Amino acid sequence: MTAEPSPSVPDCLQLPAFRSISWQQWLPAQLASLPGRTIDLDTGDWSLSCRELDELLTALHSAGHDVHVVTTRCRNTLISATALGLTARLATHDHPAGEASADQQKHTESIAGLTVHRGTLRSGDHIETRGHLLIVGDVNPGGSASADGDVYVWGRLRGRAHAGRQGNGNAKIVALQLRPLQLRIAELVARGPDERPQPGLAEQACILDGAIAIEPASPPFAAQQP
Amino acid sequence: MTNSRTILICSGKGGVGKTTLTANLGIALAGQGARTVVLDADFGLRNLDLLLGLENRIVYTAQEVLAETCRLDQALVKHKQEPNLALLPAGNPRMLEWLKPEDMQTIAGMLSERFDYVLIDCPAGIEDGFKNAVAAAKEAIVITTPEVSAVRDADRVIGLLNTHGVSPVQLVLNRVRPKMMANQDMLAVDDVTDILALPLLGLVLEDEQVIVSTNRGEPLTLNGSASPAAKAYGNIASRLQGEDIPLMDPAKERRGIRARVRRLMQTKIF
Repeated sequence: MTAEPSPSVPDCLQLPAFRSISWQQWLPAQLASLPGRTIDLDTGDWSLSCRELDELLTALHSAGHDVHVVTTRCRNTLISATALGLTARLATHDHPAGEASADQQKHTESIAGLTVHRGTLRSGDHIETRGHLLIVGDVNPGGSASADGDVYVWGRLRGRAHAGRQGNGNAKIVALQLRPLQLRIAELVARGPDERPQPGLAEQACILDGAIAIEPASPPFAAQQP
Repeated sequence: MTNSRTILICSGKGGVGKTTLTANLGIALAGQGARTVVLDADFGLRNLDLLLGLENRIVYTAQEVLAETCRLDQALVKHKQEPNLALLPAGNPRMLEWLKPEDMQTIAGMLSERFDYVLIDCPAGIEDGFKNAVAAAKEAIVITTPEVSAVRDADRVIGLLNTHGVSPVQLVLNRVRPKMMANQDMLAVDDVTDILALPLLGLVLEDEQVIVSTNRGEPLTLNGSASPAAKAYGNIASRLQGEDIPLMDPAKERRGIRARVRRLMQTKIF
C-alpha cells in the first residue's frame, strides 16, 4: 500500500449534508485524517457566501492544505468560489431532483446531463459544467459559461461561451440573442460579430468547414442525450 | 435605533462620483430632517472630509474609536451648517494592515444606534477595502456613469453584493450628458439598466458646478443651489425616504431654447 497519495490525484474533502452539522465543528476531526497537501473540496449542497467560504479556506490553509478545485451543487457557492479566485465546478446531481434541498433547487437543477441555471451571469461570474448547460437568463459582458456539451442561453449572450470544452467539435452554442464577446467550440476561438442581430432571431454557432459559423437557430433545440 | 438604514455607496470603478454622492446625499437627507452620519471607509485615500469642508476639524478618527482611545461622539464631526449631519473620519492608512470586516461591523453598529441613516463611502475596487465596507452594509447604492468600463465594473460589484447578501441594491446613473445620448455618442439609460438590471434610484446630469463645490468644500445640496445636479441629489434623497418622484428624462431635457440657455448658464457646458 502506498503511504503517500499520488500528487496528480488530489484527496477529496467532502462536506457533510447541508445543515446537518456546523462545518466548524465537523472540520477539525477531518483535518487530522487528511494526508494530502492539495485537496479538492466538495461542498455539496452547502450555500456558502464569500465570507463563509473564505473562513473555511483559511481553516484548511492554517492546517497546511491548499484547495485545488471546489465542486459544488449550489450556485451561490459557485459564485463565491469564483469571486475568491478559485477554480470552481458545478456538479450534476446523481439523485433525482426531489431529494435535493429546495434552496438550491431554485437556481440549478440537473436532468440527465443537462444543467439548468436560472439567473443572469454578471461580469466576473463563471459557470462550468459537464454535459449540457442551459442558462435561463442573460450572460452579461464579462461573464462566461462553458460546458463539455452544448451551451444554450435563454436570453442574451453578451459575454463568453465555450461549448465542447473537452474537444467535442459537434457542440453548439445557441442563444435567443447572440451578441457575444467571444465564442469557443472545442479548440476553435472566434470573436463575436460586429453587427447587431435582428431582434427576435435566435441564432446558433457551430463548427462548419473548420471554423465557427453563425446561422439562424433551427429546431429541435433540445440537447441530444450524451 | 430599529429603523436605522445602513447604506453602502459603491461603484467598482474609481472617479464616478461615490464621494460626491455620499456628501450631497448626506446633506440632503439631513436637510430633510433625518439624523445622518457619513462614514469614510476609504482609509488609503480619504476624500469625504475634503468634500464636506471638514478636514481641519478632525481630531479623532474611526481608528481611535475602535481602539477605544476616545468615545464615538468625540470622533464624530458635526457639520457646521447642517447640524443633522455628522462625519466619522477615516482612520490612517496603516489601519489597513489590521482592519477586519468585524471592525467595520462594530463601527456601523455603534452608528446605527444613534442615526437614522448611516452612509458608507466605499473605496474603489473590489479588494480588501471593499470587502471590509460590505461587511457593515445592509443596503447599497451602486453609482455608475454611462460608459462601458464603468458599467462593466458596476456589474461585477453588483454580483459581489448579491453574494454578500446585501439587499436592496439600487442604481444611480451619474454624469449624464443628454446631448451625447441623443447623438448616440454615449450609452443610453436603457443600455445601462439593460445590463445592470437594477431599479434606477436617480439620474444626475453632468454639471460643472460639482467641480466648484468640491474645491470649496461646500456640497451643492447645502445652499439650495439651482444646479441640475443639486436637484437630482435632492430627488434621490427624497426617493430614499419613500417619496415617489418621477425620474428625469434626458431626451426631454434638451427641448426649448429657453431651457437650453438656462442649462447653459447653470452648468456652463455646451
